[in-house]
Amino acid sequence: SDSGTVGDVCNLSPAVLGLSRRCRLKGNSSVMWTERVERERCLPKLNQTRPDQTRPHQTRLYQTRPDQTVPDQTRPDRTRLYQSRPEQTRPDRTRLFLTSPLLSSCEGKKTFVKTRGAFVYFRVAGPQRGARGRSTRAVRVGIVRHTGTRSSRMGEFTVHRVRFFHYMPSAVRALAFQPQRQKIAVARTDGSLEILNRADHLFQEKVIPGREQRGTEALAWAGQRLFSAGLNGELVEYDMQELREKYRLDASGGPVWTLTCNPQGTRLAVGCEDGTVKLFEVCDDGIQFERNLAKQKGRILSLSWHPSGSRLVAGMAGVIWVFDAGTGQSVHRLLVERGTGAPRSKECVVWSVVCLSDGTIVSGDSSGNVKVWDGDTGTLIRNHQVTKWDVLALSVSQDETSLVAGTSEGTVVQFQHLSVVLGREDKEWVQTRTFKNHTHDVRAVLELDTAVVSGGMDTQLVVRPLLDKIDVKTSASALRKIHFPHRRLVSCSRTARLLLFQHRIHLELWRLGESEGTGVPGSSLPIKRKPEKLLHLKTKVSKLPKVVSSANQICFSSDSSYLFTASTCSSVHVLALSQSGCTFVCTLKPKSCSGQAILLLTASDDGKWLAAANADHEVQVYNLQKRKAYCTVPVYSSGVTAMSINPATNNLFMVHADQQIFEFSLEQKQYTDWSRLVHRKGLHPQWLERDTPVTNVTFSPRNPAHVILHDMYMFCIIDQTLCSVVVRVVYNCLSSHERSSQPLPERNSQLVNQLTLRSLPEKERRAHSHAFKICKTFKHKSWILCPALLGPDGVLVPAVVVKLFSLLQELLFVELLEDQSLVVIERPLLDITAQLPPPVRQKKFAT
Amino acid sequence: MAAQQRGVSHSNLEEITIGQMSASSEDEGPEEVAFDASKTVALKSMKDALESVKRGKEQLKEKRRKRQLFFQKQKEKRLPQTLLEELETVPQKQPKPSDEKDEEDTEKKAEVKKPARVSKSLQGNCSVMWVKDRSTAYSLQQSAMDFVHARLYGPGTQRTTNAQVLSLERKRGLNQGAAVQFVNKKLGAEQKAKAERTNKRFIRKQKLIPS
Repeated sequence: SDSGTVGDVCNLSPAVLGLSRRCRLKGNSSVMWTERVERERCLPKLNQTRPDQTRPHQTRLYQTRPDQTVPDQTRPDRTRLYQSRPEQTRPDRTRLFLTSPLLSSCEGKKTFVKTRGAFVYFRVAGPQRGARGRSTRAVRVGIVRHTGTRSSRMGEFTVHRVRFFHYMPSAVRALAFQPQRQKIAVARTDGSLEILNRADHLFQEKVIPGREQRGTEALAWAGQRLFSAGLNGELVEYDMQELREKYRLDASGGPVWTLTCNPQGTRLAVGCEDGTVKLFEVCDDGIQFERNLAKQKGRILSLSWHPSGSRLVAGMAGVIWVFDAGTGQSVHRLLVERGTGAPRSKECVVWSVVCLSDGTIVSGDSSGNVKVWDGDTGTLIRNHQVTKWDVLALSVSQDETSLVAGTSEGTVVQFQHLSVVLGREDKEWVQTRTFKNHTHDVRAVLELDTAVVSGGMDTQLVVRPLLDKIDVKTSASALRKIHFPHRRLVSCSRTARLLLFQHRIHLELWRLGESEGTGVPGSSLPIKRKPEKLLHLKTKVSKLPKVVSSANQICFSSDSSYLFTASTCSSVHVLALSQSGCTFVCTLKPKSCSGQAILLLTASDDGKWLAAANADHEVQVYNLQKRKAYCTVPVYSSGVTAMSINPATNNLFMVHADQQIFEFSLEQKQYTDWSRLVHRKGLHPQWLERDTPVTNVTFSPRNPAHVILHDMYMFCIIDQTLCSVVVRVVYNCLSSHERSSQPLPERNSQLVNQLTLRSLPEKERRAHSHAFKICKTFKHKSWILCPALLGPDGVLVPAVVVKLFSLLQELLFVELLEDQSLVVIERPLLDITAQLPPPVRQKKFAT
Repeated sequence: MAAQQRGVSHSNLEEITIGQMSASSEDEGPEEVAFDASKTVALKSMKDALESVKRGKEQLKEKRRKRQLFFQKQKEKRLPQTLLEELETVPQKQPKPSDEKDEEDTEKKAEVKKPARVSKSLQGNCSVMWVKDRSTAYSLQQSAMDFVHARLYGPGTQRTTNAQVLSLERKRGLNQGAAVQFVNKKLGAEQKAKAERTNKRFIRKQKLIPS
């Protein structure tokens, strides 16, 4: 079938031998195998003499001391830059750098080069040394190399800061909540569907890919079943176990604008373009058309059931109809007048409508009003002017005491059912709070009693706690913003130095740039070869066995001889790869099948083990030599977000959605001592309070005891050897490793302590350092540490301290290559915001 | 007729007044006008008016006839004989596929012949065929999407650009800085191009570079 889009799931073989050995997967539709190679050099060559004209992103050179004039004859190639951009034009920038403590200590010999909005610091060698010409060539991948004087063992490495992955998430269109299982379904404009588990730290458990042509407009849960409807006029039911569409049904009423299920979960109401409200009966094996309600003129844009299921309220352009669901006839017709100052030609569109159990109808319309109507008499009770733009979405809480409205302004307005006069019984809907967490239109809101979930055109999902409903403030009740998917979008070949990027409908293959020579710590290195886009895949060429026609996840063995694909019913297919093609070998089936789809797959380096985590939080381990199920990791209450098998010890390292870390020894079929110690001591509260899940776990190739984790805002190196030493200390055994006696972080100590360590004298550092080395971005005028690895004394070797917005932006991926160079793929949120559809124009005072 | 009578009487009055005037000035009696003469004058004027109306009608008729002729000629120009012939052949082809199985053989022959006959209006070895059934559903979906877009982003919705909003944030927020188009080089491309153009114009205007 061709229902999937290119690159829903993709993976890159760890040892890609040339370009022919590459396999892609079409999510839920087919695994692809391609051998056609297209080379595409998309980067223009750097012209050394005229960088301004040849490069799309100019390299600007800023001098730190404006009074210091540089003689032109020493730098003939750079005079042009200075002439075109005199120092006086940017006094603020100069001042910024001069006030930095680092610069003041360097006596004005530092220079900054700005590349693609980032400041990469490097040292100017002075006119007499002649090394300066090279350093100006800091380009897209800013490479920072460390040659620490203290550490020769592992301090030296390069950092590839990759900014050419232009990942663009799509806007949130609809939200639906399933109260029994605490699942939130999110429909995006690209047709994909995400299921978040509210009970499990809002972990994005399942993703069902889709097509943009579907134009999804509405979502509805009918019990445990999920339905969606779109502008292509089709109703779709999803298979929650296999993560795909179960069936689709044409509603035969033109584009479908809205879909609601009655509170009993037995009937679906569908509002169509042709003005009909269609009722569908939810059967065991599908849905069946029941009847049409009285046809109206115009499109039905919003629908709401009365909680008893006897009435149905439909919002249209300029009018709200109340239908009797039994007879199908209209009961009331409520006229919605357009707001003052609106043009005659534009009718007031009722974008959203909610019917409450006492018969009250609440409507949100395009003139920015939230109107409260009496449903029995059909009269307007109250009118709240919320915004000058549209009110796009409404949602009421289960107990009907609170109501939220999402507006085009990006605000979410809360209304509460309160008695206006103290002690009186009669209650009114009163506008109480306004939350502004979005920059663009809010297209969907959910009121979940203790929190408000909102999503919109700015592609993020915001979970805002209602603090008056929360008794104990915990990390679970904090404000959360979900920007990136909770899974990997990048896969990296460590030896071939290739990166595979997964876009919405295509894949990109890039080769990393290379540099030569060494520099002082923190300097940007000259580029020998620029990063190169090798492939841009949009079409599919399928040459694979039919068994693997659909897969949820794929994974390669470390020697690229096998391909594992996750299939239906938690089973894994094994395929043997050769230069000629691939052949089906066998199917691995778990001992006890829960039937849930597999979300993560990982194979061990020695080709012996394969671990598969499914949506039911189960982790199955297979023995690849015997080709059968080996054991099951004890089920933990939270889902696995990332896992990997340690190449040295064959321990399975797992990170869960609640930020807990487990290490499971596959040979002994039990948790390791390190894991037990970590859980006995408990992880640091700051670690547990992080709100983005760890999406990738890797091990340092030189020292597998160093585990590298990353989430959206930080990356962390956990030194397991340090903790294992502590185990011996705990058990009163003697340790031979004197150099590394650092414990896990104490509860009351600082977790992100790398900066503090730097300020301490070297002798005291050891006493204060611990096993979690965290590199993080800090918001707003704080300092950050450049990515660096551990020094011999357990402190991250800091490259340079620079202001925030320059270094580490929001991370999509971190991987350590074979040659100890770190690939950091960043995607600044600012870049995403800049590409969104236009926001509303608001007048701000004094601007 | 009444109007004419009035007109006649008016003219008589005029004459009378003129006569009075002249009489008062030159002491002469009014000039005598015979009744017959005035009658003939009135009748002639009536006839003239009727004739002119008739002529106008005839002219209009002529004009219409000419116009119709022109249209007919134009139509003939638009539809050349060859095209009309082609059009005539079309209805003969259409019923064929719905024929019963008895005529399958003849149908096949006709199908074999079909590719040989290439439409004259198309150049080369081209033929027109129905590529995809772009049903009404697609157009309906498009119109629905246009509706939403017009309501949210159409004229009168008071929208601005992302760059402006981000720049405002940077102007007012905690970490103040330069406008986004200066920080993010992608955004400033338009402004930069514009600045470049104005610079060039300025240089040309001021004649800074002697050409």
